[in-house]
Amino acid sequence: MIDNFSALDLHISIASEKLFTLGGISVTNAMVTGVLGLVLTLGVLIYVAIMLRTKRYNRFVGLVQWVFEGLLKSVNDIIPDQVLARKIAPLSITIFFFVLFNYWLSVIPGLDSITYHGVPVIRSLTADLNFTLAIALITMVTAQIYAIKYLTALGNASRYFRNPIKDPIGSFEGILELVGEVSRGSALALRLFGNAFAGEVLLIVIALLSSYLASVVLPFFMAFELFIGFIQAYVFFALSLIFTSLAVTPHEDSNPDHSPTAKHIRSVAK
Amino acid sequence: MTAIFTSFASSAPSQTNLFDALGIDWKTLILQIIAFLILVWLLGKYVYPWLVKSVDDRQANIEAVNKAAQEARASALQTEAQVEKLLAKARIEASDIMATAKLESESVINNAEEKAKKRSDQIVADAQIEIQKEVVAAKTALHNETVELVAMATEKIIGSKMSPKLDESIIKETLEKVK
Repeated sequence: MIDNFSALDLHISIASEKLFTLGGISVTNAMVTGVLGLVLTLGVLIYVAIMLRTKRYNRFVGLVQWVFEGLLKSVNDIIPDQVLARKIAPLSITIFFFVLFNYWLSVIPGLDSITYHGVPVIRSLTADLNFTLAIALITMVTAQIYAIKYLTALGNASRYFRNPIKDPIGSFEGILELVGEVSRGSALALRLFGNAFAGEVLLIVIALLSSYLASVVLPFFMAFELFIGFIQAYVFFALSLIFTSLAVTPHEDSNPDHSPTAKHIRSVAK
Repeated sequence: MTAIFTSFASSAPSQTNLFDALGIDWKTLILQIIAFLILVWLLGKYVYPWLVKSVDDRQANIEAVNKAAQEARASALQTEAQVEKLLAKARIEASDIMATAKLESESVINNAEEKAKKRSDQIVADAQIEIQKEVVAAKTALHNETVELVAMATEKIIGSKMSPKLDESIIKETLEKVK
């Protein structure tokens, strides 16, 4: 068994691999697949928009419209301010569709077998930390921009920096909040990367282990990956909204006597 | 067993920097951020408005249909109430008409009965007068006939024609005897 494993030529790389260089920029396999994902995302959404514009409907248009409507409803449910909800919707919905299509590209056949100079050509963009970090950064920066817009720069800064002499607990909370912002962003990036990367590794390992039975066994794992892709896209979408919602919500006074719970208890006691 | 580790170790990046080991390249990262922002702008500007419009239109349609259904329901309830009211009014009117008709029919019947009674009384009275007249006429005719018969009988008995004066006296006498 162990000899069999050792005989398998597993090609696993955490980082996406360079295929060629274009204008001083290394073009990786994830970027190539990402371009495919970009074309797919744009193609699907533009096709649906054109069909809706010309009032021509079919099942596929209905499905995408239904998903879009559900996402828009989620945006409206999570973000209390309707104006902000409509502003943030394009970013979060694009995250959902782009992540979904790119994640699903990891199940296309030839994941590890199609190579260029020994480097696999197909690698999902979501399994590239550059991409997941990029959209996590965009999400966190967008949340901060809206927080400054809604709470003012000073109001937003007061969430993290408070006078330790006047409010020692609050100042500690502020530091925790600051650490929380960093950890939220990195968790957002690493969660998606981890799932996508693990999914790809799983498919490669299953394909190698099942050998001639791969065509029978793999579809089950591919279907599972499609499901996980949907879940991950929705999780990223929802978390980006929740972080924005949290960022624009004014912080509560750290004094326990002034907290809403304390106020509620006092009102009930009266 | 060692081959697996060797295989994994060979695939592990040789770079010592954590970012390099994870494959984070700042140039690629910035490029992907810009590319993604362009995608968001492109979709937000040219694609999503149509999708949002379709969703809003659909929502508006649903709301309009709901509103129409509610209005129709309210209208139906109102109409039902009006129908009930009209039915109640019609019932009252019908019962009034029935009562009036009953009274009128009773009156007509009473009048007809009264008229018929009067008419029948009149017919009976007229008939009685007529009978009386006929009785008188019959009596007169009988009297005259009797007188003639008596005269004829008397002539036969006496054998001669009697004068009117004689006839009369004899007849009277006979009649008195007969009485």
